[in-house]
Amino acid sequence: MDFRLGPKAEEVQREIRTFLEKNFSEADRKAALEDGGGHNWELYRKLAADGWVSAGWPEEYGGGGRDPYEILTLYWELCKADFPWIGLLNNGFIGHTLMAMGTEQQKTEMVPKIAAGEIAFALGYSEPGSGSDVASARTLATRDGDDWIIDGQKMWTTTAHTAQYIFMLTRTSTQDRPHRGLTIFLVPTDAEGVDIQPIHTMGGERSNGVYLTKVRVSDEHRVGEVDKAWSVVRFALGLEQAMGYADLQERFIENAGRWAMKTGQDGERPFDDSRIKEQLGQTAIHAEISRLLRHRSTWLAAEDKDLGGKGAMTKSFSGTSYLEDAQNWMDLVGPAGLFQEDEDGAIAEGNFDEAFRQTPVNTIYGGTVEILRSLVAEVELGLPKSR
Amino acid sequence: MDLSIDESQQILVDTFSEMLEKECPTTHVRDCEGTGFSPDLWARYAELGANIMGLPESAGGLEMSLLDLGLVATRSGHALAPVPFLEVATAGRLLASLDSEDPLLADLVEGKPSVSICLPRPHAASGTSKTRGGRQVVPYGALADHVVAYDGDALYVVSNAGDRRSDRVKDLGDSALANWDLSNSGADVRVLATGDSASRAIAQANSEWKLLAGFWLVGIAQRALAIGAEYARERIQFGVPIGGFQAIAHPLSECAIRADGAELLAWEAAWADTDDPARFEMLASMAFTWASQTAIRTADISLHTHGGYGFSTEYDIQLYYRRARALSSIGGGAKEELQAVAIACFDPDGTGTADSLLGGA
Repeated sequence: MDFRLGPKAEEVQREIRTFLEKNFSEADRKAALEDGGGHNWELYRKLAADGWVSAGWPEEYGGGGRDPYEILTLYWELCKADFPWIGLLNNGFIGHTLMAMGTEQQKTEMVPKIAAGEIAFALGYSEPGSGSDVASARTLATRDGDDWIIDGQKMWTTTAHTAQYIFMLTRTSTQDRPHRGLTIFLVPTDAEGVDIQPIHTMGGERSNGVYLTKVRVSDEHRVGEVDKAWSVVRFALGLEQAMGYADLQERFIENAGRWAMKTGQDGERPFDDSRIKEQLGQTAIHAEISRLLRHRSTWLAAEDKDLGGKGAMTKSFSGTSYLEDAQNWMDLVGPAGLFQEDEDGAIAEGNFDEAFRQTPVNTIYGGTVEILRSLVAEVELGLPKSR
Repeated sequence: MDLSIDESQQILVDTFSEMLEKECPTTHVRDCEGTGFSPDLWARYAELGANIMGLPESAGGLEMSLLDLGLVATRSGHALAPVPFLEVATAGRLLASLDSEDPLLADLVEGKPSVSICLPRPHAASGTSKTRGGRQVVPYGALADHVVAYDGDALYVVSNAGDRRSDRVKDLGDSALANWDLSNSGADVRVLATGDSASRAIAQANSEWKLLAGFWLVGIAQRALAIGAEYARERIQFGVPIGGFQAIAHPLSECAIRADGAELLAWEAAWADTDDPARFEMLASMAFTWASQTAIRTADISLHTHGGYGFSTEYDIQLYYRRARALSSIGGGAKEELQAVAIACFDPDGTGTADSLLGGA
């Protein structure tokens, strides 16, 4: 038994911290939060130049061959630092997918460009009428000679406004059950008929809605077989669910702890209040469990073992416990908890306000907690399918 | 990273699982409710070396790790074994750490559960953490002839059960609790250590008991969950198994997630005893707290899944519901322990200036 991530991951931690010190100033951090788009080309190219975009890809495809613990550490450090890393996550995954099931052209032309930080992708699964029931996607792709014509609408297409392509789930058949008629296309964001509109959120993130009107895409832009995209989507969502928010929970409890240990302007130390200690204890435990569940998901992946419902467990626990803590802290600390970072009188780096705004979405996107609990019930407890 | 137990640990788990399945069905647990103790089962534990597993070789023990002890505790929790495994392990290790030839160790090595321990508990109803004089609740105190206690300065053994020990107290967990007069005065008191060496020894023992109780509670949670899930798969209402209703499935699912977290946390704490000692005390405290919260919640959800039957003494789930609560309360309860977690995490040396122990390796 060994709970350490190991020396290679520790080295990545040092490297990323050094990278952030050199390239990601406090002003950059503020700007990234203000922008909320989850991707910044200038910073992203620097990451790519140091090999981090392709870090987790196999070496035979020009990747860094980094193990899952190193990749976990990469995201952990970037996320805790407020680095806009959503583009990185998407592109790393899409690179993997193209290597596994892309055409020769996609492998030889697109993959190197992804690695070099020249092109980026947004994920286009959700639609106005299709959220948790992602297999019910209705954005239609119909053949037209060697091309396809795409019509429909996508929702929550985060980073679409900075990306060159959308990795888009479309309906290509209505003959069989819903999940057997889905196909993925790489839709260029500058194609005629693509209209990207911002969606602003309470948590400060900017996402997008994408309208598609008679968008012509060549068959070269299809990924995988026609009507067979469901396994790709499931795999991608599985990756996201195995992560959770342990890194942000760790930062939250660090900020709360630092605030509690400092003597306030009333001469009292919050830590000396037993209610504060109780909440610190509970939050610290939640952060530790979220970290352990994420480490377990990573270990299972590294060992090539079946993840079962354990990825879903990771996101479900992390999402719900972080939300619960954010709400309980707000109830405990009074009006100062409402203040945003840098406001006069703000406490814990404004983290109480930030967490209260941001955490509700953690139990929703990438698989709602209800979807995840059903999955755990079926896979881990052998209960019947529930809806 | 390796989050698995090794081959010899798997054999240990299998050995105790098989033994308990045979020797400790819930009918046996019920049969022991009048005394809270099964001498026959404890004899089987001793045959398998459970009484000396955690003792150093110099004291006649097997010098096994806290993780090994914890794995046995989890199996014991599954079966609700009415045996003083936690108390014998903790008191024995404490005595041996101070003097491997302490005369009380002979009984433990022979398999007599004659020594228990009264750990400092912060809870208001059972005294403060500083003063342990006067009447105290002692787990398995009804069996013990000697109790190890701490009064804030001295660590000592109180004997003379005739004058100091009450009759067995009937309690929620149908255990073998008794009240003891643990005042540190009289010819029947033997002081083991004072000052720093006493406070270090009791702190380690306290962490070990909490961790092992955490492992035990993990077992209670896992078994309570399995009982609830099985019921949900088989019980038919409205023409279908009730486990197909989200209102039934999701709370059970949530418990499964929490129980996995509780087991990982207990494992991590046991591992830290040897491999990350700076975080051991904090992790042991976390493990006890979270396993308490999880076992209590899981037994509650599982009982509720049974509908009215869960409330009937015929069904096993009520045994788990009561014992999860009881073992947590013996340790002072999760709500109190949360504060201990905060102190261990943010103020481990009491100066208010140390770095927090978050994050880990």
